[in-house]
Amino acid sequence: MTTAPFDALAPHPTTGFAAATSDLSKVHGSGDTRVVALDRVSVSFREGEFTAIMGPSGCGKSTLMHCAAGLDSVSSGSVRIGTTELSTLGDRQLTELRRDRIGFIFQAFNLLPTLTALENITLPLSIAGRRPDQQWLDRVVSMVGLSQRLGHRPGQLSGGQQQRVAVARALVSRPSIIFGDEPTGNLDSRAGAEVLGFLRDSVRELGQTVVMVTHDPVAAGYADRVVFLSDGRLVDEMSRPTPDRVLDRMKALDSRVRTS
Amino acid sequence: MLRTALRNVLANKARLVTTVLAVCLGVAFVCGTLVFAESSAAAYRAAASKDFAGIAVTVTPKQPPPGAGGEQAGALDDALVRKLAEAPGVAAARPAADGSATLNDADGRPLRAGKAWANLAAAYVPGQDGKDGRHPLVEGRAPRDGGELAVDSGTASAGGFKIGDTVTLATDGPVLKKRLVGIVRTSDSRVTAGGTLAVFDKATAQELYASPGRYTSIDVSAKPGTDEFRLAETVGALLPADRAEAVTGTAQASRQATYTDTLTRGHQKMPMVFAGVSLFIGSFLIVNTFTMLVARRTREIALLRAIGASRRQVVRSVLWEAFVLGLVSSAAGFVLGLGIASVLPGLLSTSQDRLPDGPLVIGPLPVVAALGVGVGVTVLAAWLPSRKAAKVAPIEALRADGRPPTATASRVRGAAGLVLLAVGGGLLVSLTGAKDASEANLQNAMYGCALIVVALIVLAPLLAVPVIRLTGRLTGRFGITGHLARENALRDPRRTAATASALIVSTALVAGLAVIGNSTGQALDRKAAAGLGADYVIGSRSTMTAIDPGAQKRVAATPGVRTAAGVADSTVFTGGAVRRIAGVDPATVGEVMRLDFAGGSLKDLGPGRIAVSATVAREQGVGAGGRVNARIGQNQEFTQYTVVGVYADNPTAGDVLGSLADVQRDSFLPGSVQRILVRADRAAVSKATEDRLRAAAGNSPLVQVKDRQALVDEAAGSLADLLTLMYGLLAIGTVISLLGIVNTLAMSVADRTREIGVLRAVGMDRAGIRRMIRLESVTVAAFGTLLGLAGGLFGAWGVGSLTNGAMKEYSLTPPWGTLLLVCLLSLTIGVLAAAVPARRAAALSPLETVADR
Repeated sequence: MTTAPFDALAPHPTTGFAAATSDLSKVHGSGDTRVVALDRVSVSFREGEFTAIMGPSGCGKSTLMHCAAGLDSVSSGSVRIGTTELSTLGDRQLTELRRDRIGFIFQAFNLLPTLTALENITLPLSIAGRRPDQQWLDRVVSMVGLSQRLGHRPGQLSGGQQQRVAVARALVSRPSIIFGDEPTGNLDSRAGAEVLGFLRDSVRELGQTVVMVTHDPVAAGYADRVVFLSDGRLVDEMSRPTPDRVLDRMKALDSRVRTS
Repeated sequence: MLRTALRNVLANKARLVTTVLAVCLGVAFVCGTLVFAESSAAAYRAAASKDFAGIAVTVTPKQPPPGAGGEQAGALDDALVRKLAEAPGVAAARPAADGSATLNDADGRPLRAGKAWANLAAAYVPGQDGKDGRHPLVEGRAPRDGGELAVDSGTASAGGFKIGDTVTLATDGPVLKKRLVGIVRTSDSRVTAGGTLAVFDKATAQELYASPGRYTSIDVSAKPGTDEFRLAETVGALLPADRAEAVTGTAQASRQATYTDTLTRGHQKMPMVFAGVSLFIGSFLIVNTFTMLVARRTREIALLRAIGASRRQVVRSVLWEAFVLGLVSSAAGFVLGLGIASVLPGLLSTSQDRLPDGPLVIGPLPVVAALGVGVGVTVLAAWLPSRKAAKVAPIEALRADGRPPTATASRVRGAAGLVLLAVGGGLLVSLTGAKDASEANLQNAMYGCALIVVALIVLAPLLAVPVIRLTGRLTGRFGITGHLARENALRDPRRTAATASALIVSTALVAGLAVIGNSTGQALDRKAAAGLGADYVIGSRSTMTAIDPGAQKRVAATPGVRTAAGVADSTVFTGGAVRRIAGVDPATVGEVMRLDFAGGSLKDLGPGRIAVSATVAREQGVGAGGRVNARIGQNQEFTQYTVVGVYADNPTAGDVLGSLADVQRDSFLPGSVQRILVRADRAAVSKATEDRLRAAAGNSPLVQVKDRQALVDEAAGSLADLLTLMYGLLAIGTVISLLGIVNTLAMSVADRTREIGVLRAVGMDRAGIRRMIRLESVTVAAFGTLLGLAGGLFGAWGVGSLTNGAMKEYSLTPPWGTLLLVCLLSLTIGVLAAAVPARRAAALSPLETVADR
């Protein structure tokens, strides 16, 4: 049952990695204002794995995610989604790639206020001009527990409910990878826990790949793996994290930043 | 706070540009039309005015007392001129023999004909140096005998004349041919504003316009220091009593001013209508732009409030900003307006109806209007929303994302709109039974239409939801982009409605005018065709000119002509009104006019017996067998006439039919005919016959030969003004609404950066974003057009019911072509308006989604 949805993705030959970067650098500005946001970062995200990217503020974790997701251009190095090299793609191909193979969950929910919950969920499919697979849609909707709220507009939903709509939107097109940018940043701890639970379930039960940027050790505790970023460099990683261990590592990182 | 205001003005350049443009264009339209109105009025006045500068006293022959009988030889001769020149205080006395002459241009077509006051003729009167100071020669020499002629340089270039050409012209009666020997310059504004001037030698002019050796007037100029009125007395004493009179230049000028005022008042109306409409929709544009601008700044205002600015400070800062912006944009708009005013005459002139040329006249009104609209409306537009913004609790505003209007507000709006609609509609419906298009009824109809338009604007935010849902069915075919476009247009119905209001007003006006114009035109066509039995009408241009008797004989002898009935046109004064009377021969009239008699018949028509139209019969309260007092033409005495018949209104027959002899006796040119109605053999109706008739009439510029179609077209000719008005309004409405939609879209794109970023992030390509914005724009435009069409058609129906009472051929005939054009134009406006905002939206990066703002 867990492998069934993956058949749909068969056209893309897999290497076991949903996404990967190698020697990825991102530089803002030039001359005096030159800021290196990412410095030769090489990281891979395995299929069916839930990865958290962590690090202190300004370490470049959001930039890493934006570059890996094709939202931002890179200065040098390469980014691959599956076997597709992003640097060779034009805007139209990048747009199609985002539409068909990537799902997004944002901190600020970013639902369209004029559309109902259901319309928001099926938005990527509508844009592509495809009909949703009704069985899959029902499954996603019932998993995030929104069956009773599909006709509501975002303004009529609580923050947690809105983020659940966003999770469903990310899942509905069966992307090869979902990127989450601080998905629990605007939620209280209980609603946050729910959303993280759904993300973990989608990995465990549906075989989904999820990459999430967070600064919250508790959120990172839901992941299978945590990678640590500091000053634009990959500095450490941890498997099967717990909030306590993540917190310790963060403290160590912080002090290293301070003393260096 | 002034510094905050100035910083704000400069802070956001794009916002600044759209707002300045809105105010600037609003002001430009108002000023442009106002300056145009004043300039064209001045030009018309100039075109109809003689310049009295330098003339202290003018001597003219006195009208012979009524009943004196016989032609009197004029008193103004060379002896009198010499006598006046030697009188004390007189600097010079210049005799003149003036009249009118209509010329054919080099191609044989009447040149600038149709306005009697614009086709002037004068005598070349050499002064002591052998030259005429009033007509300085530019080229060639002065005319010396009856075979020669000079014209002014404007006439020469308009007519394509060269020295040595033979020019065809007519004063009245037969055609004259003269050789052009000289070109003169003139400063007479009647000529320079688009008239013609023919200059004859003195003897010829005297023969044509006075009698040999006599003049039509003598202009006397005063020595420096001589009082005009004293001089008039001196001169008056030298004149033969009862045969000539002296009038001061001042008195003449004021008399003329009164005359030209009545003459030109009609011409001021149209530009003033333009100005009024531009003011109305221009204000809308400004109010709308500023409302959105301040609404967007609610958050900023709340921040200022949160850090301790008082409400008054906040409002004052916004007002200062509006004031500075309004002042600068008004100045720019004023200059732009002058540009508009200078191109409008060219746009509004048609080949038949030329607007007179003249310099731009900038009176105080446009300046006041510019400040009023640019600064006044802007500040007011800023004041209302800024007060509202300042009232909101700071923290609420920081959180708020534009709440929908409260239920009570929209209920009040709905109620007010419905009341207005009911009153307006009621006014129009109440008029359906009206019998005639009287002034009061027309005024009621206009108020009714205005109320309906205002009601539509008030109701527009409420109507937006159902109407756009409806149009959304169509845009929905474009998939998710269409769906999003519809929802975005519905997001703030008030903003959508305000944006569409300019289109509502202009579409309503244009649709209404188009329907009324088309219906009236068709009715007039039917009427003109219905009343005319003749195939051709040969007519002089006015009741003051005649067709020469020789021409009538030649026309009757033209092959293919079955009947050629002469008609004497004149005026008749009866029942307190001046009406048109046609003198006809009862034996032939039945062949050339189709008269539909409601009572009596034409066979009893004869001296002392007349027939009247149904309108006259109703207004005078007479029927067949009744009697009316009337005086015809020049006759000063009332005579009692017996009414022998009442006929349905007929444009060929006019208001009253009399016997030819009766009318001719008292006509302005006794014994003359003004029209020849020609019935041709069926097979002979052709272009060739028309040309033969024109030749038979002597190719005189005073005579027009028209076939049925030309007559029918002419009957609708008075609608040309209406059409000009319509297209002018359409143009103004198009530009203003275009700008309004651009402004709204630009701001709404700026408001929705994040949303557009989401769409880009989840996979909508640039083309999709552009399509979405375009569809939103088209939706707004379509909404405005639909509402405007509804209002316009209803108004046209209401006004039409009035016309129906007055004109039984009238039926509501919407010009589908024009209405379709209006709809297409509005869709085009939608697409065009979206161009820039759509491009800007498509250029947004998906990163906007996550960008902190």
